[in-house]
Amino acid sequence: MTKTILELRNVSKHFRLTGIRNIGKTVHAMDDIDLRLCRGESLALVGESGSGKTTTASVIAGMYEKTSGDILLDGQPVRAFRNRAESLAYKKRVQMIFQDPFASLNPTHTIRAIMERPFLIHGLAAGKTALESKLSESLEQVGLSPAAEYLRRFPHELSGGQRQRVNIARTFAVDPEVILADEPTSMLDVSIRIGIMNMMLDLKEKKNVSYLYITHDLAGARYMSTRIAVMYAGMIMEIGPTEEVIANALHPYVKLLKASAPAPQEGKRNDEVRAKGEIPSLVSPPSGCRFHTRCPYAKDVCSKEVPAMRDVGNGHLVRCVLV
Amino acid sequence: MAEKTLLQIDHLKAGYATKAGFVRAVDDVSFSLRRGEFLGIAGESGCGKSTLAYAVMRLLRDNAAIESGRIVFDGTDIAGLDERAMNEYRWTKMAMVFQSAMNALNPVLSIEEQLVDAVLAHRNVSKSEARGIATEMLELVDINADRLSSFPHQLSGGMRQRIMIAMALLLRPDLLIMDEPTTALDVVVQRSILQKIQELRMRLGFSVIFITHDLSLLVEISDSLAIMYAGKICEYGPSRELYAAPEHPYTKGLMSSFPTLTGPITRMGGIEGQAPGLINPPQGCRFAPRCSSAVPLCSDREPALVPTSAGRLCACRLCGGMI
Repeated sequence: MTKTILELRNVSKHFRLTGIRNIGKTVHAMDDIDLRLCRGESLALVGESGSGKTTTASVIAGMYEKTSGDILLDGQPVRAFRNRAESLAYKKRVQMIFQDPFASLNPTHTIRAIMERPFLIHGLAAGKTALESKLSESLEQVGLSPAAEYLRRFPHELSGGQRQRVNIARTFAVDPEVILADEPTSMLDVSIRIGIMNMMLDLKEKKNVSYLYITHDLAGARYMSTRIAVMYAGMIMEIGPTEEVIANALHPYVKLLKASAPAPQEGKRNDEVRAKGEIPSLVSPPSGCRFHTRCPYAKDVCSKEVPAMRDVGNGHLVRCVLV
Repeated sequence: MAEKTLLQIDHLKAGYATKAGFVRAVDDVSFSLRRGEFLGIAGESGCGKSTLAYAVMRLLRDNAAIESGRIVFDGTDIAGLDERAMNEYRWTKMAMVFQSAMNALNPVLSIEEQLVDAVLAHRNVSKSEARGIATEMLELVDINADRLSSFPHQLSGGMRQRIMIAMALLLRPDLLIMDEPTTALDVVVQRSILQKIQELRMRLGFSVIFITHDLSLLVEISDSLAIMYAGKICEYGPSRELYAAPEHPYTKGLMSSFPTLTGPITRMGGIEGQAPGLINPPQGCRFAPRCSSAVPLCSDREPALVPTSAGRLCACRLCGGMI
């Protein structure tokens, strides 16, 4: 077994609502999340909007303080940063790629200014020539060459795909160990998505980083990862090796997700998707299993207690009493 | 052909006047739609697919215009009709579901007011009759009649989109145009909406033009498929056949751009580069600059959309051995 780089133990994140009518109400965005990410591994976190997958990445990235639980990086517990040095030291190791390439690059800065920042902030380039060569190297490894041509441009002069490449280059600039990729291709045109995905897979091999690849697309998760965790309403419902989870989905929600995904190669499909409704409100999440309100197989017990994660072997865990 | 043609588009050209020049977003597009047919139009952002839909509905913005071509709806050319005459068609004979259902409903009016308004504007009926029509339609999309008094913000995204569909179908149009109706929705909700559309189409017999960037979705639900690239249709044909054996290099590229849930995981190619701007589109074949099988001749003359086999059309010099 390869070495674990990042571990989450029963991590929860609740947001307190503001406003006079919401006193005492909290959003249970992330509850009891257990995850383990190995070195060089790509783990996909799949879920619909509002399932808590972005919150999970933000908590790991240190943008939100967790409500409870433990996060361990390389075996060391991650605590709230007491000063800038601690924050920087952590961020040097754990980086995030954001979803929206149109919003995540400062429109008033040139690509040079944007790309210089990680090197300057983390003190990774001694002298001008060193910086210059690092800049070209980072841009060229994401397919933006000649680098000089891109360095003098502004974000609005680049296409969505090129901007996302800049984002990825910036993330890799500090040689991180863990990259949290929050739907990096969902805002891009279909024909360029695969290019970005292939490049990320190549970079992972080359740099031996670990990915937490967040997506709502099960097929994309299959392409990008060796393990998949499926989240629903703030909790992980099923986790295991990619092929295992997709071919032998055990949780009713994962089965539903699978049946809903477009599958053109199977021809016109007649399998009715039986579950009704949508993701529940996380202000007062359903009691017991969070999926019981939509589950076609729900029993009385499902609404009474939260099912525990059950190991069905081969690293495949499911949170369902019926399995 | 046995079935009756509902819509016939001939050499339609439409575009926008912008500061940078004229953008011809729809350039010489022709196709026909039979009664009851489900046509899918797939293409990336900026390929002109939405402009095409708005042109057919005659809903183009002030800076846009139909330059030339005919839009024959049920025997009448509506391309040049004035607003008053056009209002006889809109909503009663052809209706549209817009991309962001979240914003298409009026937030300060109840669902009932909005539905009843639409009926009263086009039909000479009493208010209670209009309410009856609204209730009936709402039930067809599986929304309980007690939701009539709700306001849009009290409903989920999927419900709002179903209400948009109910609203479009209120007056039993012959043609329903849907512009990315499920893009903002989660996969599970998307699947249930698609099933609903199919079910209603079988029941009410209307034709559908379904516009999306997600080709994988269309293959399953549409009868025929048109692929658009840079303002033109590059391939057209029955969707199963087109999926099984795409002929245009762009279609082939698109097909190898989305990962699948089953079968072996092979590295996919996607398409290099990006779509051209439409102010100065490339000479000759517009896909030639990105095409891996392009020959010098491709940039000389524009390929025509010609039959390659029964029911299939392709605009490529290389298909059907036409070099």
